[in-house]
Amino acid sequence: MKTHDTIPVTTSVVQSDMDVSMGKNEGDLPGDFAIWIFIFAEMLAFGVLFVAYAFSRAKNVELFNVSQLTLSRTSGAINTLVLITSSYFVVRGVAAIKRGFSTQCAYWLTGAFLLGGVFVSIKLVEFNAKFDAGITMSTNDFYMFYLSLTFFHFMHVLMGMVILACIIVKARHGGYSAQDHAGVETGASFWHMVDFLWIILFPLVYIIR
Amino acid sequence: MQNSQLQSNLFSTIIWLLLFVLTVTTFSIGEAGISGKAAMLALLAITMIKSQVVANYFMGLRKTRLLWRGIMLGYFLIVGGLIALAYMMALK
Amino acid sequence: MKYTSQAVAKPYFIAAIALFLGQILFGLIMGLQYVVGDFLFPAIPFNVARMVHTNLLIVWLLFGFMGASYYLIPEESETELFSPKLAILTFWIFLVAGAATILGYLLVPYAALAKMTGNDLLNTMGREFLEQPLPTKVGIVLVALSWLFNIVMTVLKGRKTTISLVLSLGMLGLAAFFLFSFYNPVNLVKDKFYWWWVVHLWVEGVWELILGALLAFVLIKVTGVDREVIEKWLYVIITMTLVTGIIGTGHHYYWIGTPAYWQWWGSIFSALEPIPFFMMTVFAFNMVNKRRREHPNKAAVLWALGTSVMAFLGAGLWGFLHTLAPVNYYAHGTQLTAAHGHLAFYGAYALVVLTIISYAMPILRGRAANPERAQIMEMWSFWLMTISMFFIALFLTGAGIVQIWLQRISAAPLSFMAVQDQISIFYWAREGAGLVFLIGLVLYICSFFVKGQSHAFE
Repeated sequence: MKTHDTIPVTTSVVQSDMDVSMGKNEGDLPGDFAIWIFIFAEMLAFGVLFVAYAFSRAKNVELFNVSQLTLSRTSGAINTLVLITSSYFVVRGVAAIKRGFSTQCAYWLTGAFLLGGVFVSIKLVEFNAKFDAGITMSTNDFYMFYLSLTFFHFMHVLMGMVILACIIVKARHGGYSAQDHAGVETGASFWHMVDFLWIILFPLVYIIR
Repeated sequence: MQNSQLQSNLFSTIIWLLLFVLTVTTFSIGEAGISGKAAMLALLAITMIKSQVVANYFMGLRKTRLLWRGIMLGYFLIVGGLIALAYMMALK
Repeated sequence: MKYTSQAVAKPYFIAAIALFLGQILFGLIMGLQYVVGDFLFPAIPFNVARMVHTNLLIVWLLFGFMGASYYLIPEESETELFSPKLAILTFWIFLVAGAATILGYLLVPYAALAKMTGNDLLNTMGREFLEQPLPTKVGIVLVALSWLFNIVMTVLKGRKTTISLVLSLGMLGLAAFFLFSFYNPVNLVKDKFYWWWVVHLWVEGVWELILGALLAFVLIKVTGVDREVIEKWLYVIITMTLVTGIIGTGHHYYWIGTPAYWQWWGSIFSALEPIPFFMMTVFAFNMVNKRRREHPNKAAVLWALGTSVMAFLGAGLWGFLHTLAPVNYYAHGTQLTAAHGHLAFYGAYALVVLTIISYAMPILRGRAANPERAQIMEMWSFWLMTISMFFIALFLTGAGIVQIWLQRISAAPLSFMAVQDQISIFYWAREGAGLVFLIGLVLYICSFFVKGQSHAFE
């Protein structure tokens, strides 16, 4: 009864081209292909938002320039450094698991996870200050974009932290090895995406005028 | 083996330092309050270099097929280019 | 049929097809009323025909979803259904309640129906698509809960698969979001805001989970491709669906009194909604190309592929056409919306129900697949219905574009009714395509009665 789904047939054809996401070749994207579909879709969504921001600004430069000055550049810059460093930790974690060092990998990723926590905390302080000042998405177009972009990105940091946490737990239990670590690379790819989206977001919204 | 591992870790550390320095540069330009076309283009260029570096060396795209590297680079160029275009329009 | 309790799906499928026929007949009546305004007046006024047309659609699709889940959940869970008796009881309650409601629409003036059914106790009637009297609404909740209970209990006692998880989640969402049909605030903005939580979050949210699960199930069965592969795609697709679909609700919140940021949020996220549909098309064709078996039921494969393509066209492409705020500014509530509604409902939901019926019904009738001749007839009906529906969408799109131009863009805009006169040619063409659709549907029903050498089980 159980085997009804997978009718045993000649298996030779099956292995090679059946699964787009498994049998890895040289030159393939790191990690599970499915995460890359997400990554590309997320890039598209953020890309549209970035460009929409820029063109909305072009229609109302004065308002954007004045509102931009109310943002905390320092916390934005610190958060950039935090994310870059956490990305670096993730790189080291992947390097560790490629040599089969599960515990080391878990340590590096835990470091990255904690830095994610730092990012989130700083961001919450920032949001809080804005809400205290009575600023909402309806205040003006600049704040609409600022809050939308940073909040949307914030949710991705949280999601990335959940993914990292799952990988850390699995790594601690020796769930990955030098041969089998696609899961780590999958999570790592997502985290790097969160990083480079912020790398674009920070100068665009906080600095360039 | 060990040696190449050490080298690769050293390499990623250098990349991290580079990103760090570029971020501080961006921040300093912001603090100095410099604006205008040149500053805008410089800041955008730094941004695109940073994201391309993360994609290539941290994500590991440089080892992948041309298609994937092309998508990523194309994305940065298109998004960066459109942002630059919008800012140029605003200058006039 | 591997589990005897799967047989409860049969009456659900039969009822679904019967109500489908009713829906199409009322569609034709209404289509004619667009150009011959007093046709069947005062027996069946336009607003009543419209109510019956749309309500029957929802009800037959629900019958289809329920039948489908009673069929596939025992097989997925590798155990008998928790309570076949409850499933049959639910069937009769739903059928009687549904029929009574439709008769109520047809025989009693709507205001009198409202008075008779206690609308003054809890005011829920009078809103598009949610016209059902209070007892019917309560009945729908009870039926959905009984369905959910039966399915979840079956899943809990048997094997847990991604497909049954996604399907249960979809059903849970369906039941949960319907509760907003009981919330009818006096404030018109709030009313519309939450009205969409039923209407939009059903068809562009949780129903898509059901759609994904049903399609994945049929594809596993007819292609023999590894479950793991199909499940991974299913996860990716439904996550994208939920992210874009939920925030995409914003494309209904342009200029209706909701905050302006919805124009950005709605535009951007709903513009991404076609992506999961496109992925579903790629996924379905990939799986069929990589099939490891030749299933004798060719018709089911055709329906499945048709679902993936038409869902992308109808829901994805036609939805995208008018989803961006600046476009919707002009296109809102024109025939363009009707074009999208027709093609999306047919492509995504009518077709997926017909897919599962096409796959399951022969098995429920004791054979792996229908006789060759019956299948050929079924495939003819597929092409007739699909092509005619595509033309209905094209004609309505044409009507919509002309309407937008004459009524909203031109230097000397005409009034609504004057424009309707101008576009009557499109309505006539649509009615013609509708007749072809009916022929396709009749052919489909006939295919069930074709005798011949049927395919036995392997």
